[in-house]
Amino acid sequence: MSSPFAIGLAALVRQRGVTGAMVVSEGDGIVVDADLAVGVRGPVLAALAASLYRRARLSAGAAGLGSAAFLQLEAERGRVCAVGRGDLVLVVLAEQRANLGLIRVEMLRVLEALP
Amino acid sequence: MTTAVVEGWVEVPLRRFIDDARVQLALLLLPSGQVLAQSGFSRALDVMSACALAAAINATSAELGRQLDGRPFGGLHYAGAQRQIYLAPLATPRGALVLLAVFDRESSLGLVQLYVGELEQALAIAAPAPVPEEPVIAGNFEGELNRNLAALFGRV
Repeated sequence: MSSPFAIGLAALVRQRGVTGAMVVSEGDGIVVDADLAVGVRGPVLAALAASLYRRARLSAGAAGLGSAAFLQLEAERGRVCAVGRGDLVLVVLAEQRANLGLIRVEMLRVLEALP
Repeated sequence: MTTAVVEGWVEVPLRRFIDDARVQLALLLLPSGQVLAQSGFSRALDVMSACALAAAINATSAELGRQLDGRPFGGLHYAGAQRQIYLAPLATPRGALVLLAVFDRESSLGLVQLYVGELEQALAIAAPAPVPEEPVIAGNFEGELNRNLAALFGRV
């Protein structure tokens, strides 16, 4: 049985250079649903990305900047992107060659469609 | 946060776990309920109670797992209104240990689970050679319990 997040996650991993997408509970740091390439450590990524997103959101609030819209972490060999709504965080893992603009648009579209 | 240990080899891994996982209270004990290390507790009585309860919960959930699933359950999580607990059995070369971690919204279940895994690995590396187990009898147990609490809090 597919989850209500499956279609959105599938749309994200179809993007060039995306190696995984997951919906994570921000409060618990636990994977709700995921579509990941083999070898991606989902629970580890979920726990750390949710914590990172939560702290970024709190930092933006504390700085008087309002809510965090889009979080992007650039690393040596790729990127982690996150957007949130309510207690859910949509996390995408992408390679350097990925088109970040397209991924961002797709993530915001999927976020809007989250149940 | 104050951390005290009965056996030195658990100190570095436990301190690192506490820092990384941002837990408020941590207790490392033997499945029998004898304390090996504590962090965040201020009274020996609280440690004694928490150890007894953690050991009982661990024994109960392990047996429930055996009955239902043919093997002991792993970690046990309970979320309260403000605080959450995570109770996990840890396998080390020195035998089984039990970790009780208490955390709030500064951490998360996912983070605690992640760092419990790292704690178990670090304990496996830090553990000295196994020693033959002595039978746990009531007289020994009480004496060792008091000795461990005295090591953590001074005279009990």
